[in-house]
Amino acid sequence: MSKFSEIKKDFPIFERNINGNKLTYLDSGATSQKPNSVIDKMNDIYKFNNANVHRGTYVLSSETTQEYESVRNKLQSFLNASDSDEIIFTKGTTEALNFLANSIANKLMGEGDEIILSEIEHHANIIPWQMVAEKYKLNINYVKVNDDFSLDLDDLSSKLSSKTKVVSIVGESNLSGMLPDIKEINNLVRSNSDSLLIIDGAQLVPHRKVDVQDLGIDFLVFSGHKMLGPTGIGVVWGKKELLNSLDPVYGGGDMIEEVHYDKATWAPVPHKFEAGTPPYVEAIGLGAAVDYLGNLGMSEVEKHSDELREYGRKVLLDIDGVNVIHSEQDIAGCTFGMYVDGVHATDLSVMLDTHGVAVRAGHHCVQPFHRKLGIDATIRSTAYIYNDKEDIDTLKSAIISSVEMLR
Amino acid sequence: MSIREKVDEYKKILDIFPNDQEKYQYLIEKAKENNSFPPELRLDNFKVNGCQSQVWLVPEEKNEKLFFNSDSDALISKGLVTLIASIYSDEKAEDIVTSEIDLMEEFELGVILSPARRNGAYSMLKTIKEYAKNLIA
Repeated sequence: MSKFSEIKKDFPIFERNINGNKLTYLDSGATSQKPNSVIDKMNDIYKFNNANVHRGTYVLSSETTQEYESVRNKLQSFLNASDSDEIIFTKGTTEALNFLANSIANKLMGEGDEIILSEIEHHANIIPWQMVAEKYKLNINYVKVNDDFSLDLDDLSSKLSSKTKVVSIVGESNLSGMLPDIKEINNLVRSNSDSLLIIDGAQLVPHRKVDVQDLGIDFLVFSGHKMLGPTGIGVVWGKKELLNSLDPVYGGGDMIEEVHYDKATWAPVPHKFEAGTPPYVEAIGLGAAVDYLGNLGMSEVEKHSDELREYGRKVLLDIDGVNVIHSEQDIAGCTFGMYVDGVHATDLSVMLDTHGVAVRAGHHCVQPFHRKLGIDATIRSTAYIYNDKEDIDTLKSAIISSVEMLR
Repeated sequence: MSIREKVDEYKKILDIFPNDQEKYQYLIEKAKENNSFPPELRLDNFKVNGCQSQVWLVPEEKNEKLFFNSDSDALISKGLVTLIASIYSDEKAEDIVTSEIDLMEEFELGVILSPARRNGAYSMLKTIKEYAKNLIA
């Protein structure tokens, strides 16, 4: 029997009944559900260990600090990073990208320098760059997305130049499931520029094995809550020499070496980037999530994602009247954007909810790409480790009956 | 009929339906019956901000009373705005402004009428009250 067949039992939310139906949760692209081990771990910290980290010379603080710092080691091995100091905690992918944009633009970029993004980025990987571009007079170029939802790598090559200082690209699209060839992108970036390469791993890291050294990239950012962990915790992984060269964006307690009335010196990485009390309970919760995924094995998680994607392609691509936005490449995420001519996406998602099916409706923070396709809104189904083929079948029959009602 | 009486009427109707799905179906039917909105009035200045779908509300004053014509590009929102518009239409501006009826509390309409501030129904009501307030001022 597959490791995944009994997995829903680990997630207490699946005991819920929604509108008289069992819960069919297909919105893990927005946030994942949490296993008991994560919930219990956080509860235990609050009940038995809680004290601020890096502060007290007493048992509780020392225990919590040890738990918190051990998560860096877990993430180091999860990502195959070369040093646990390369793991910086943030409150999520959005803060991670805002931090990188501000720190890199301030330290390493000047007027006229260029940032390359793609047309299918999440707003979190567009707006921080727009904000620093305005402040530092930088230019942004967008790599084209082909009709099959793949990235146009020839277009990327043609846009790379000595002016390019940052390439920041999604690792797995939250709309189409597109998985760009990161190694190939890395090769192109290295051979055509001196640019840094950042991967937005918000959707990639929960679903696929990521080896940062093998990929050759400079930075990876992701959120804990999309990979079974709690909200309020995210990660920047960066090459240590690059992190050493950057300045902090936030100042405050815990990030300093020495403070005088007129100046301060920074603590070494990772601490110089973690001002104030960090979300240490959330970080420890993320550690429990990494343990859970580690026990399943990321190659198994990847295989499960691939199986659900193939089943999704079989079942969802031929529903009468339903248009699907989904990568046409062989390997992609199990994410399906969908829209029905003449039926509003919010109507459809409200009706699906009456079947216990939870999907997201809207532009999923990818508004420019929706505009490019000429669509206002889509519904989006994103599956994760606790989903099975039955969930996809339920989605299909709920779509058919809802569309019938809405026409 | 007063605002209160109309709300009570709708409550009676909605109570007949045993689940959200049938309530939404009722709103969908209401939306399909509402064909009175001229497409050329789908203008930005009549748009209700804060809805997930596009919603338009156009006020009209007749015989010292306010009337609201409404539309939406989504059916359930259109049904909801049709219902809300009919509650506050044919009423004096003063009565609309002073009405303290909280539709979010009165109607049980599942996820479409949750008591959140960033909610479409909240924005529809706010728009109606603002039109009425401006008329008095």
